[in-house]
Amino acid sequence: MRPRLALPLLLLLLALAFLASLAFGELRLSFSQVLNALGGGGDELARTVVRDFRLPRALIGLAAGAALGASGVVMQAFFRNPLASPGLLGVSSGGALGAVAVLALGPMAGFAAATLWALPVASILGAFAATGAVLMLAQRGAGTERLLLSGVALNALLGAGTSFLLTTTVGHFEVNAQILFWLMGGLESRAWEHVAMAVPGILVACLLLLPLGRAMNLLSLGEQSARSLGVDVRRLRRQLIVLSTLLTALATAVAGIIGFVGLVVPHVLRLAFGPDHRRLLPYSMLGGATFLLACDLVTRVFPLGLRLGVVTALIGGPFFLWLLRRPR
Amino acid sequence: MTAALHAAGLRVPGRLEPLDLDIGPGELVAVVGPNGAGKSTLLQALAGLLECEGAVAWEGRPLHRIPAIERGRLLAWVGQEAHFEFAFPVREVVAQGRYAWDDDPSGIAEALAELDLTHLADRPVTRLSGGERHRVGLARALATQAPIQLWDEPVAQLDVRHALEVLRLARQRVDAGGTLLVSLHDLRAAYRFDRVLVLDRGSLVGNGPPHDILTAPLIREVFRVEATFVQSLVPELPRD
Repeated sequence: MRPRLALPLLLLLLALAFLASLAFGELRLSFSQVLNALGGGGDELARTVVRDFRLPRALIGLAAGAALGASGVVMQAFFRNPLASPGLLGVSSGGALGAVAVLALGPMAGFAAATLWALPVASILGAFAATGAVLMLAQRGAGTERLLLSGVALNALLGAGTSFLLTTTVGHFEVNAQILFWLMGGLESRAWEHVAMAVPGILVACLLLLPLGRAMNLLSLGEQSARSLGVDVRRLRRQLIVLSTLLTALATAVAGIIGFVGLVVPHVLRLAFGPDHRRLLPYSMLGGATFLLACDLVTRVFPLGLRLGVVTALIGGPFFLWLLRRPR
Repeated sequence: MTAALHAAGLRVPGRLEPLDLDIGPGELVAVVGPNGAGKSTLLQALAGLLECEGAVAWEGRPLHRIPAIERGRLLAWVGQEAHFEFAFPVREVVAQGRYAWDDDPSGIAEALAELDLTHLADRPVTRLSGGERHRVGLARALATQAPIQLWDEPVAQLDVRHALEVLRLARQRVDAGGTLLVSLHDLRAAYRFDRVLVLDRGSLVGNGPPHDILTAPLIREVFRVEATFVQSLVPELPRD
């Protein structure tokens, strides 16, 4: 496909997904009602639904999707492995364990009121701990097997921690339900405070990533050759790992574990528009946002009790298997 | 004259014993030695790609004082492995050689032509043969127009025509004032170089003109093969 068409196409799809997120739901609104409500007009019910409920939800879906898409591209270039992604490597699980620890232990320690802001902090700490573990387990340029197997081990370990916290809080129904939310991922009852918690950080991290695409191209074809061609590899690697972990952590803090976005989205876009990271980074941000909003729409339009993380996994799981079977 | 490449007490623990070295400018130097002798380690250490002890200087400047971007302008290194994980077109991989020059495109087309890659320029690098991928790596190094070039076994996977062409390009660069250090397995090719370094189990055991260094006793000692010197048919390396 012609790369010139990519940006307008992706922007159009994102705009459609965003508007649809504001229009669809239990109360079906027309696009003109949505636009009226956004502008402060229309009837009060539509205004409340759009501005207090759907807008923060859609903004979080957009930001989390962009964050996960970008994070996936970065990890693939960093590990020089197209199968790397925050979910498979255990970074999402690390963020989730951090968040779940706050949810489970916060009320017991008696600082429930502080948990809202403790969440992203704990999520960031958990994600960085997981990233550190991946870096130790699988050296750069590690083969697919080693990388994915360390991801399997790490995911199991972190999942065990999360399950432990889940069983210790079995008596507290509220807490238990909240933890399940993190495990399955979702955008329900996200409010403006969640937007404030994650969106600015994600925006800044994405903007900081964009100029790194040129050097990422060199890194993705070999660390030593990149260094000999003039890339400050140590600095670049530090920037990449900090920003991508931060993006995954912030997305996880407000939306829970959502797998496969960071794997599926960059892959499809790379197949369509090529591997140049100067384009692939912004495309994956837009594509990730669109994909997540579309999956969230599925959970709302088909009232089957599907969770967002379940929908992305239903699409991403088979896609991943197809990738593994595909000759490279 | 200041050496293009200078090493003093250069050591990589467990892989390379301390050695002193001065090369160039304008010298074409071969590194030979059995598998595991430390040829790649020496090249990587000189290129600043390995943690090592001792001092390395390029054109008289201590390596640790040269910023990353200037390193890309002064020296190009080509690794033994030519494995590319992502499907960049050949032309874009070669263009990466211009990173340190702000992606100024001069020299890319020439580098493609010199390595006989012009007809493959739009092909994804993942869909090339092993030898073709090595030529892409060399073209990228030539595109840097760096005066110092370190090539790790550039011809081991090439057919005879392309191998001779690469050796001719090496000579051409040196004639233009460049400095080349090339590791080789083919001892016969090493006789065409200005100087030969012989590595054996991490130590530099020979350093001088090929006809003085690559003698039957040394080849027996280092490579454990008997070598006989015969007059034979050798395709002449074109010099221009």
